[in-house]
This record gives sequence, structure tokens and C-alpha cells, in this order.
Amino acid sequence: MKLCIFDLRRGQHEGQELDKILYFFPADLPFPTQLSVIGLSEGLITFTRIFSPEAPCEVIEAEMHSHVFYEAERDIWMVMVVEKSESEAIWRTAALRSVLKEVHSLFVMFHGSIRALLDREPSGGLTRTHLYYFIMDYLSDFLSGKKLHLPNFRDSLKERGMVQMLTIGREAALEVQSLVRVLESCAGCKQSYSLIMFQDLLVSTTLSPDDLINLFTYTVMRLTPNALSAGASSWSYLRKGSTTSNASASLSTSSNSVLDRYYNSHDTSPVGVRSYQVVRPLQHEKWSKGKDGFLVTDIWGTEVGSLSPSSPTIWLKQTEERMYLCAFQHKSLTIILLIPVTSVHNGEQGLSVVKQQILENASPKIFKVEEKLSRGWGGENAYHVSGYRYLLVDGDKYISRASPPGKVATLTKDSLVAMSKLREEVDLEKSRAKCDGSDCEKDQEICIRAKNGAWVISRLTRGKELYMVLEKANETLLYASEAVEKFSDRYCSGVFSL
Amino acid sequence: MSAQASSSQPSGFGSSGALSHVYIQYPPLRCKISGARNIFYDDGTKQLIVPTSDQVFCWKTTPFNPNVTPSSDQIGEGPVLSIRFSLDLKLLAVQRSPHEVQIQNRESGDTFSFKCRSESERILGFFWTDSPTCDIVFVKTSGLELFSCSSGIRSLQLVETKKLNVSWYVYTHESRLVLLATGMQCKNLTGYQISSVGIVRLPRFDMAMAKSEANSKPVLAAEDIYIVTVYGRIYCLQLDKIAMQLYCYRFYRDAVIQQGSLPVYSTKIAVSVVDNVLLVHQVDAKVVIIYDIFADSQVPVSAPLPLLVRGFSRANAAASQLMGQNVEGLEGKDSNHGETVIYADEWVFLVPDLICDIANGILWKIHLDLEAISSSSSEVQTVLEFLQRRKLEANKAKQLCLAMARTIILERRPVPMVARAIDVLVNCFSLSIKTGKHHMGSKVERSSTTSGSNVNSAIDESISQADTSEKPPKQESGSGTQDKSIVKSSSVTSESEDNVSFAKNRGKSINVDLSSSEQNGGNLVGTDVSGDEAQPSVVRPQAPGSGSTPLRTDEQQESLVTSAAISPDDLCSFVFAPIEEEMAGDSSYLVAIIVEFLRSANLERLKVPLNIYVLMIQLLARNENYAELGLFIMNKIIEPSKEVAMQLLASGRHNFQTRKLGLDMLRELALHHDYVLLLVQDGYYLEALRFARKTKVNTVQPSLFLEATYASNDSQHLAAVLRFFSDFIPRFKSTTDHQTYSRYLAEMNTMVTA
Repeated sequence: MKLCIFDLRRGQHEGQELDKILYFFPADLPFPTQLSVIGLSEGLITFTRIFSPEAPCEVIEAEMHSHVFYEAERDIWMVMVVEKSESEAIWRTAALRSVLKEVHSLFVMFHGSIRALLDREPSGGLTRTHLYYFIMDYLSDFLSGKKLHLPNFRDSLKERGMVQMLTIGREAALEVQSLVRVLESCAGCKQSYSLIMFQDLLVSTTLSPDDLINLFTYTVMRLTPNALSAGASSWSYLRKGSTTSNASASLSTSSNSVLDRYYNSHDTSPVGVRSYQVVRPLQHEKWSKGKDGFLVTDIWGTEVGSLSPSSPTIWLKQTEERMYLCAFQHKSLTIILLIPVTSVHNGEQGLSVVKQQILENASPKIFKVEEKLSRGWGGENAYHVSGYRYLLVDGDKYISRASPPGKVATLTKDSLVAMSKLREEVDLEKSRAKCDGSDCEKDQEICIRAKNGAWVISRLTRGKELYMVLEKANETLLYASEAVEKFSDRYCSGVFSL
Repeated sequence: MSAQASSSQPSGFGSSGALSHVYIQYPPLRCKISGARNIFYDDGTKQLIVPTSDQVFCWKTTPFNPNVTPSSDQIGEGPVLSIRFSLDLKLLAVQRSPHEVQIQNRESGDTFSFKCRSESERILGFFWTDSPTCDIVFVKTSGLELFSCSSGIRSLQLVETKKLNVSWYVYTHESRLVLLATGMQCKNLTGYQISSVGIVRLPRFDMAMAKSEANSKPVLAAEDIYIVTVYGRIYCLQLDKIAMQLYCYRFYRDAVIQQGSLPVYSTKIAVSVVDNVLLVHQVDAKVVIIYDIFADSQVPVSAPLPLLVRGFSRANAAASQLMGQNVEGLEGKDSNHGETVIYADEWVFLVPDLICDIANGILWKIHLDLEAISSSSSEVQTVLEFLQRRKLEANKAKQLCLAMARTIILERRPVPMVARAIDVLVNCFSLSIKTGKHHMGSKVERSSTTSGSNVNSAIDESISQADTSEKPPKQESGSGTQDKSIVKSSSVTSESEDNVSFAKNRGKSINVDLSSSEQNGGNLVGTDVSGDEAQPSVVRPQAPGSGSTPLRTDEQQESLVTSAAISPDDLCSFVFAPIEEEMAGDSSYLVAIIVEFLRSANLERLKVPLNIYVLMIQLLARNENYAELGLFIMNKIIEPSKEVAMQLLASGRHNFQTRKLGLDMLRELALHHDYVLLLVQDGYYLEALRFARKTKVNTVQPSLFLEATYASNDSQHLAAVLRFFSDFIPRFKSTTDHQTYSRYLAEMNTMVTA
């Protein structure tokens, strides 16, 4: 696997080509190889732009490789190259692209946009350092053993960039909302946001979808009780159970030398890597739960003149505002409060006042909500529907729900490959509709009988998608269709009953 | 009446500009009769009775009307120690001496006498009852004697006797409870409740008394004992002048339990009950302390403030002086309105809420100024609870509660505080419909499961026998305005008073015997209390505890009572809707409040009106909190309904996702016609067609589909839709629609081929 990020606006003069490389994985690849990957990509982008200025190249399918393109920011491209040689290497382009998209949005949440970083420091050293550590830490989540395990056909009943929600009853929902309002009042300002999670599932939020997905992803990766207890088995696709702290180390050995190479090779910047203060929000095992229930980390360094760690901050996409991230955990309940940096006076001191407020005013409600949710919690297989392996995606609300991974794993390879292919088709269809520019969301239904006799089904209706594998099912199409209908009526309030 | 009166004092200030929470309203009822020898109050019939040498004048005190004209009866000459009408008002009993009571049939004028058999015993007093077994009870030094009496028969039949050496007694008709004091110190009390459900004997109990000196043996006086009825519970208050405490005993059917004490700041006190609020008049200090002992809290409701006269002004005085000539024709000259002396020595406090100025023949009714009380405290929750318990001026209390709710929201008080306030209102409403008191609530629905929580455990053990029959709403059928949550009442359907409004719903009028209290009661030691100049003609009984019942109180009028409970509908229309505009800038705060309201209502399983959901959607959409709105819909915090769906569609004009929520809701509610129509409008004509076929919607005009299809400029679709209607609608081919669109289709096809 290769992953690179480059800026089309940089290194346009001969001899300065290296300048356009912002990130390359594996980092120890010789520059000529790096440049050849980037050169090919750049060439294709430039070429395809002639025909489609707004949406140039999306993917190159070569015999041995797939190149997946993603224009993260204007003229800043991310390209992922995956090999097709192995038996497990059956990829779905959109799934790979969603990895690129995810790492980029997470990066922006913590560091701001790449363009802004480049503008701040044109030499690119700061950007490269940040990207390097960030992506290394991010990729370490994909490590299993020594190998990077990218989403392949086995993940075809998963959807990245979506939120998984806990289904709760009205009474619990009202309690939760009541808690949300108390939290807001604790924050003491109107522009604060909250996020409440139970286990790895979202319960409530006041964030807009874009920011929600980023924060949700990060929370599941690093903050929920499952994430905190490292090594515990995980059932969320966002986290691999086997990740350990030395995993990222294995990816980023000799990091300094790697980064230094860019500067040594062409003496544009006298600034060495070591002079940058690097915040690594994705670093493993850096968060822990404090005595008061608040989660603490030293990722953001320590405050000047004190031993206490600085509070984490993130950027919100919607309001373009910098927010303090304040996380509280009680048993399975994780509560995140985002407070605008500008509205907190005295920095840390102001924050500790807010925390005090939460402990004093919100604790009873937090306990109550936790108790209520725990009582109604059906465990990690709560959303399993026997006989079905499904993925449900609500594109409007950015919510997905799927059969638990353990259940999906029981499917045969044939079924999963078929589903992967089917999804590829659907993706294509969707992007075509998008290109046509019609905002009409067409209903669509595909039923495929796979080689092993399984039914592989997709149904799309007005922004909602249902993917389903029915193994050991009856052979008639009618049966399959009725099975979908039944599922739709019972679990989707009839959305897919066409 | 009282509501009007006090609302004329909006700020809670008396006419003198001073602050008060309790007031007496000018003009009072005047009962001055020339030749009057004394003033009695019959609390069984709630009449003020003034005997002259040969007749008695009676003023009804409920409803309290200062201009009521007295009725009169002829009675024989002779001393009147006490006088009471039978509960059906047919008989009049007059105690002529410590040994004789005369009973007179008011219609026929027949009289007969009841006399003590032995000289050694004396009649301390008597009272009429609504017990099924007896009609009149005589309290003698030798105990109780219960008699039945039919008006036709010229004698009494002895039903039962309770032997006991009685020093003095206290009785109120309100509680139906007679307390008999025995023993050297008179602190050993025995109680009987004689009500329509029978006779209950209370366990004997001792009053605690502080000693001034080590070996002194203080003697408990009747005037230091008050029977108080609040919230249907019966309490006995005992004044301990040495300890300066007012001990509070609560009567249960099988026990008497001391429940704390109230401090007193005056050696002379008086106790009134207005609308279940206990007023302790600190007579020397000339202030009233208000207690609401609903939750056994001994904390005063508000700071001690003086009792004031309201509605009295010079002009007023002059006017009433003129008018007074008529009313007080009998009264003679001394209508000096000048200064009403508050807590004059001649004041007698009648149970539960009247004050008789026996010197001037004036009867005052005590009122609470709910507005002043509510504005005196910053504890919104407590004030609301207090107001919600008020029955007498229920509407006023309700309006005050609504105003307070509006105010705290407009003042942006912290959400938890507002939430607690809303909790109080919602819980009170829930309680009121559980006990069936809420009447206007024909449309009040409880949502699904009623949690089986029982009403109120504290109340039920109250002494009354009736309690079992009481709290389930079965008795409600009979009473139109069933009010108090009180226990004992229900029993008394046969209340003989013909005070209509009252008799019908409540058995528990209490007949308080004031006899021994204050001026005219005989002191138990037998020392003749100095007669007041005002009533020189009273023949004072020498006996301890004359038992005469000179004055009687009636219970508050309850005919007008509705409950102060505020339904969710009221909350929406009088709190949320009016403030919505004013809160425009801060809709998230209002949303937070509404969430708390919904939570509260949900806990009590109350249905909330749909417009609160509509309002909520508007608020969220105004702030563009579409994500939250989606969450609210998904979690059914905003419950689905057609109105909600329509509002979602309207608010979704600028947000497609929200519009979809509305559409989905229509589908889930099986409002297929609307759903299909909207799908067509949005250009999803094929989906609409498919859905219409599946759900058998045939009310949408084909032309709508055809129009939409034609607008999409897709000849294939147009052909398909035309074909669809041709196949599924008989005779479609002969309609103009078919012709028109077939022509369009042909044109489109030629254009394509061209």
C-alpha cells in the first residue's frame, strides 16, 4: 500500500519537485519512486481536468494496482495505491476513498486545513511533520500484525463516515435531552455543543453532521470505555482490537530521519523537524480517566508554568471555531462538551469552573441516564436480526446500522465478494446520478443470486440504502423480496417497502 | 367575592400601604342588635346567632355576605347559655342552665326540655351530629350522652353513654371530633369522632406541658387547645405558655402522634385556618404567621406580618355609613367605623376563618392575599406548591401560577429551576386528575399506562373513617365540585345542612366549639371570667367549661371551587405560546424548557397538546438546528401526528432532510393520500404511482401525475404513466386527460425523432 499527499501548487519548477510532496507512505521509499507515483497521478489529474474540471480523476485501475484519488482540499490530493495481487485484495474504491476522507477530516479537526498550515509556514516543514505523525498514528489502527489491513470485501457490510446510534425509548430520550440542556447551561455559553455516547454508540448530539462524524469517529477510536481499556475486544469497525501502542512505533521508526530527508535533499529550509511542537491526538494510550470522571491526556502538552496538562482543542467545521474538548465518563456513558475557546476566560481555570459545574449540576442526571440506558442495553449483538446480514445507511442523517461484525464474519467469502461488487455497482450508479446533477434521488433495487446460492440485495430509496445478504435462503426471488419487505416493515418503518 | 376583593389590591399592599399576607375585608358583617345579650356561632350550621330577650337572629356566614339579612325565631324568655340549630335547621336547641337544654321545633313552635337527672352533673355543652345512630350529643361532667331525636316526637331517646369525668371539652363540627379533658391537670384527653360513618374512639393521650417550677402542676385550659382541620387531616394544637411553643398533634384513627411544634411569640394566640393554611395569630405582637403544614414542614410560608383591614377608606366609610343605616337599622348609634382595632380584646376567633368583634357586633372574614404571599418568596417551587394547594381562590392561584411560570421563563432563570417549577405544576395536575378533581379536563387524556402509584399515603391514615372509601374516585360521581383531597368527608352524604353547595360535596364541615376559648368560655377552674362589657347580659355559667357554644364557624364556601391545577393545555396556551414571541432571540432556551415540560408530562403519563410539538419544530427550525430536530423526531420526543408532519413539511422548505422527515411521518401514519400527493409535488411521480397502487390510494387525480411527468420532459415516463392509468382505471381512455397527454406524448416523440 502506498499513500501520498501532494500539493499541485507547489514544486512546479524543475528541481523542486520534492517540494510538492507533503506526505508519503512508506516514507523510506526512494524519492524517484515517490515522484513517479505522484507524477503519474498529477498527469492524470491534469489530463482529466480537461474533460471534467470539477471532478477529475477518481480511480486508476491497473492490472496490478488500483490508484484511488481524493481531492481533500483544492489542489491538495490524496492518492492511495493498493495492490491487487493477493486473494484478499478485492477492494471497493469508495471504501478506500472513505479512509482518505476520514483521515483528512480528522486531521482538519485537530490541526486546521492543510492549506492553512501551508500558508502559515510556506516551507511545508510544519505541515509535513503534522501529517507524518498524524497519518502514522491513524494507520496504526489498521495494523494487524505487521500488515496494514485496509477495508476490503470483508468490510462490505460496513460504512465509514457514518454514525451508529443507540435506539432508545421516548422516556430515556427525554431524560437524555434534559441532560443535554443541563450540560449546555453548565458550559455557560450558547455556542457550546455536546455529544453523548453510550458504549460506542451515539445517544444524542447538538453538532452538525460534518463535525459530528469526526468527533464521533475520534471518540470511538480513543475515548470510549472500550477505547480506553486497550486491548479489550472491540466490535466497532473503527477500532481493531489488536492495536497496541508499539504498532505505530513499528510504522514510524526513524521518523526524524525520514522527515529530515526532505530538507537535506534541497536546502530550502533551515528549520529542523525537532523544533516543531507536534500534537499527536491519535497517539495510542494517551487518554485516561481521571478521578473526577473527566478524561485527561497530555497530548496537548502541559500548560506553561504548571504541571497540569493543557486541555484538548479541536476545530469545528461548521462554525470554524476553536473549541475546548471536555470529556466526561461515567461507566459506559461518555459525554463530550465542546466550548468555544473564546468564551472561556482564563483558559484552564475557566474550564475547571465548567467542570465543577458539570460535577455539581449534571451528575445526578448523568447517573440517571447511564442507569436507564444500561437497563435497556441489549449488548453488542443488540441489533442483530437473525437470518439477515445487513447494512442500513441513512445518507441524510449520516447514520448507519449493520449486523454485528461477529455475525457478518460467518458469511462465506463468495457472498461477501458479491456484496462488494454489488456495492461497487451502486456506488457507480450514485455517482453517475450526481454527475447528472439531478437532485432527484431515484429508487433502485438490485437482487443478485451469488454463486453460492446466497441472495445479495440492495435497495435504495430517497437517500436511504439497505444492503443485505441472505444465505441459506430459499431460491425464489419472491422469497428474497419478501424477506426484504419484512425487514423493512419491522426495522425500518417501511422505508424500503416499495 | 374574595377573589375580586383581593385583586383590587394588586400589589399586595393594604389600604394603609402596609404589607400584609392576611387581611380582613371591609365591610364586615354587622350583627348588632339592640337588646342583644350575647353572640353565638353555630359551626354546625355556620350561622351567627344573636339572642335577644325573646327571639334569636341568625346570619348565615356562608357564603360570606356582609349584607345578608338575618332570620329570626321566637324563643321563650330566659337565659341562653348556648344555642345551636339542628343540622337540618328544623330544631333549635337552647341551653338554659347547666342542667337544662330546651329543644324547639321551629315550625310548630313545640318545645320540650332535656334535664339532667342528678343535680351533681352539669351539662357542659351539646352539639348536633350527622351520625346515623344519634342526632344530638350532650357533654356532661359525667361523660357523653348520645341521643336520637325525631322532630315529631317530643322527647329524646338515649342511644349511648360514654362515662367519663369531664373537666371541659372542645368540639368542632368541621372535624366531628370532641376532645374531653380529664384528670387533675386536665391534660389527659379522650377523643371521639362522631360522624356519619359512626363513632370512633381515639386512644387516650396526654398533653405535654412544661413546668414553670419544679413541683408546680400546671393545669391545661380549654382555650389553649385548638382543633385544626387542614387537608382533611385533624390536628390538635396545644399552646404551652411556659415553653412558648404550640405543640402539634396529629390524629390518626388509632394513634395520636406529636408532630413537632411551632414557636409562639405571644402569650395570647389565636388560630385560624383559611383554605387549609394555618394562621397563628400572635395577638400580643399583632402579627400572623402562616404555615402550610401539608408536608409536615414547620417552616412558615412567609415572614410574620400584621393582619390588615382592606377596602376601608374614608370615602368608603362614609358610603357605608349611609348604607349602613339600612343594614344596621337595628344596630343603633355606635357605628364608629373609625379605626378598626386589630386584635382587640373583644375579638373572638371562630373556626375556621372568622373573627367576631363581640363588642361591636362585627364579623370579619379572614382572607389570604395569595399574590402577596407568592411575591414574598423567591423559592418558586415552594410558592407554586403552596399555590397549587389552594382551593378557595383556585382560579386566582392558577393565574398566579401561570404568571409565575411565564415570568421565570422570561427572566431566563436556570433551566433546572424552571424544570422543578414545571414539575410541580405537572405533578399537581396529575394528582388532581387521579383524584378526579379536575373537571374541565374533559379532553385531558392520560397516555397509555397509568402507573399504579397511589395518590398520597400521608393523607389516608387520617382519622376519618371514610378514608377507605375516599380516595378512589368513586364518590366523585355525586359531587360536582369535589374539592379537598380530604379524607373524612366523603362519608357525609347525608349532611343535614341545607347549605346547598356545601352539603352536597362535603361531609366535613367542622363545628368548632369555641366555648371555652377567649372571653366567654367558662374557665375550667370555675373562676368567672370577667364578663365583657360588650355582653353584659350573658349569663355566665359557673361551671367549668360552660360548654356553651356561643359562636360558630362555618367552613369556607366551596361552591365556586375548581382546582388550581394547570393542565398541559393550559401550560401551552398560557405559558409557552404567549412567551414564544418574546423569546424569539433565544429559542434554544425555550426548547430546553419545553423538553423539561415533556419529560415531566411523560413521567406522569399526561398527553400534551400537539401545538407544543409544532411550536418546538418552529423553534428548532428557526435556529436551523435541523440535526437536533431530526433526533427529536427519531426518538419520538416529538410524537408523530399529522399536524407535526405538516409543520415539518413547512419548516422543511429550507431543509430538504426536514421535509423528508415530514413525508416519512405521513407514510408511517398511513396518511397515504397526502403522502402520494406530496411525492407527486416533489417530482417523484413514479414512486408515488407505485406507492398509490400498493396502498390502493385512488383519490389523487391522474392529471396531477400526468402533469408532473410531462413537466419532467421524459417521454418514456409519460408513456408509462399513461399506460398505467389506461390499465388500472376503467374508462380512463375516454377522458380528456388521456387525449391531452396522448397528444403531448405524440408531440414529444416527433420532436425526438425530428
